[in-house]
Amino acid sequence: MPDPVIQLIGVTKSFGPIQVLRGIDLKVGLGEKVVICGQSGSGKSTTIRCINRLEAHDGGRIIVDGVELTDDLDALDEIRREVGMVFQRFNLFPHLTVRENCALPQIRVRGTSRADAEANAMAQLDRMRIADQAAKHPDELSGGQQQRVAIARALCMEPKIMLFDEPTSALDPEMIGEVLDCMVGLARGGMTMVCVTHEMGFARSVADRVVFMGDGMILEAATPDDFFERPQAQETKDFLSKIMAH
Amino acid sequence: MEAALRPPVVDTTAFGWARRRLFATPVDTIVTLCFGAVVVWVALRIVDWTLISALWSLEDGQTCRDAAGACWAVIEARGRLILFGLYPYEEHWRSTLACLAIVATMALSCVPWFWSLKRLPALWIGGFVTFVVLMHGGVFGLSVVTTEQWGGLSLTVFIFCSVAVIGMPMSIGLALARRSKLPVVRHVTSVFIDLFRSVPLLTILFTAAVVIPLTVPDWAQGDKLGRVIFAFAIFFACYQAEIIRSGMQAIPPGQEEAAAALGMKYWSRVFDILLPQAFRNSLPATINQFVITFKETSIVTIIGFFEIMASANAAVGTGEWGAQYVEVYFFVGAVYFLFVFGLSRYGAYLEKRARLTHA
Ligand SMILES: Nc1ncnc2c1ncn2[C@@H]1O[C@H](COP(=O)(O)OP(=O)(O)OP(=O)(O)O)[C@@H](O)[C@H]1O
Ligand SMILES: [Mg+2]
Repeated sequence: MPDPVIQLIGVTKSFGPIQVLRGIDLKVGLGEKVVICGQSGSGKSTTIRCINRLEAHDGGRIIVDGVELTDDLDALDEIRREVGMVFQRFNLFPHLTVRENCALPQIRVRGTSRADAEANAMAQLDRMRIADQAAKHPDELSGGQQQRVAIARALCMEPKIMLFDEPTSALDPEMIGEVLDCMVGLARGGMTMVCVTHEMGFARSVADRVVFMGDGMILEAATPDDFFERPQAQETKDFLSKIMAH
Repeated sequence: MEAALRPPVVDTTAFGWARRRLFATPVDTIVTLCFGAVVVWVALRIVDWTLISALWSLEDGQTCRDAAGACWAVIEARGRLILFGLYPYEEHWRSTLACLAIVATMALSCVPWFWSLKRLPALWIGGFVTFVVLMHGGVFGLSVVTTEQWGGLSLTVFIFCSVAVIGMPMSIGLALARRSKLPVVRHVTSVFIDLFRSVPLLTILFTAAVVIPLTVPDWAQGDKLGRVIFAFAIFFACYQAEIIRSGMQAIPPGQEEAAAALGMKYWSRVFDILLPQAFRNSLPATINQFVITFKETSIVTIIGFFEIMASANAAVGTGEWGAQYVEVYFFVGAVYFLFVFGLSRYGAYLEKRARLTHA
């Protein structure tokens, strides 16, 4: 495996009395694409939200790009600059235009000049094939368009790593394809990606590894071929038969 | 069959509208006619009193008793007292300019171009310095006029604007402190807000004006008007903080998460993402709060300030014009209306603007 840029070592996390992560071990190499799937409530979102510390883990260690995640805010800022995130519900800023959504974070976080930030914003929007919508506000766009803007916005920060938390599950079926196409393009470009998704076609064609979670633990991690053809854990087999039945 | 498919014929002329809406049934017709008569009668009476039978100025030997309607001569005679209070007569031009300066400052703050962390404070400092220099004097050869002599419309507008300008940033601070992650900050703030909200405004102003001089050493007291405005601003801020906080609570948590995930720091998340949305969410309530505050400024009369209501009372307090209190209150009412209606229209403009920019 190439050098790991993300290392989770025995990570645990509880919400009040409920332990939702029970010792997660995961290494992601530079340029690697990892797909995480599993039952609802198994801790997939919590796991990737720990990687950029939207949730603070309470046991084990998380090391991202050589920096360990602690309460140290400077280290956190450094990591968040390297890690982009795309959410299920897009979370675009509704009071800003699409272009401003992409430009403002660059200006505030990287200190980019406005002109450069807007040029970069347009370049990333163009890469997501949504540049023609730059002057609109998010609520004037379809779900698929909004999600592509959200990806462009994250890319504007020039992250090393992209996290996706079910980026297509809030979309109407006919819009899923356009977002997945963009993600495939990103993967081909060599981006390190950790992606929670139930799009098994995407997992098969893009992932280097598929990680299956259940009940706060990683139950199985394998290449797509092994995962789909020769699943080991009983839970994986049940999950796959349920998914494939659709 | 074909007749049923034809679209209904709707008479869209004014006559048709009236027939459908006002005279559809005999009862409708009666109600319409009765209310129409009342409205017309009241309107005629008002027009007659204020305009047709009104006396605009007094000729030799005439008195207001000769007027069949309103006697607007009282405004001519006492208008300056109403608008300027006890401010020295020869210096009224200063009070006028000061009032215009502060109104212009407020009007300019309403222009989106000024909405930045550099321009807005610069504008306000400029506006308030101009106001105080003009009103107080003591520089540029202007004679000194102490705040005890300030009065009338200038004082009302000054109190309102100062309360708004000091109170708004304070309310943002309180709203943020109230949702702080630190329990101590959060709890202290919420006790502070609840404390000020549960005491009548009059008590707070009275404390600031009368009690503080008895308990605080001279050098720390400051000007009485300054203390009253500051206390008023805290009171305003406690209410406004809750309005802003409610606007923040309406923002989905994903907004702050997305900003954090992009690496935006706390202050950037607050000023670029949360506050603009919070203000939009709480716009109607905020305008409401401003309108209430404008009208509440008249309460400072009780602690000895001569704002426009007090000077209006003084204007009809003499025997000569004592009967003309209706005209004077009508006039003061019109002044209030001008300001409050302006505020409401501005609020409506902002809401429309927010809708046009989709948030
Ligand atoms: N903020 C929170 N407070 C309390 N419990 C939470 C919180 N966030 C998540 N949980 C709980 O943690 C568990 C794991 O949640 P998580 O969102 O990681 O699951 P998931 O695998 O992403 O599920 P889904 O497929 O439904 O998104 C769930 O039982 C959930 O109820
Ligand atoms: Mg989830």
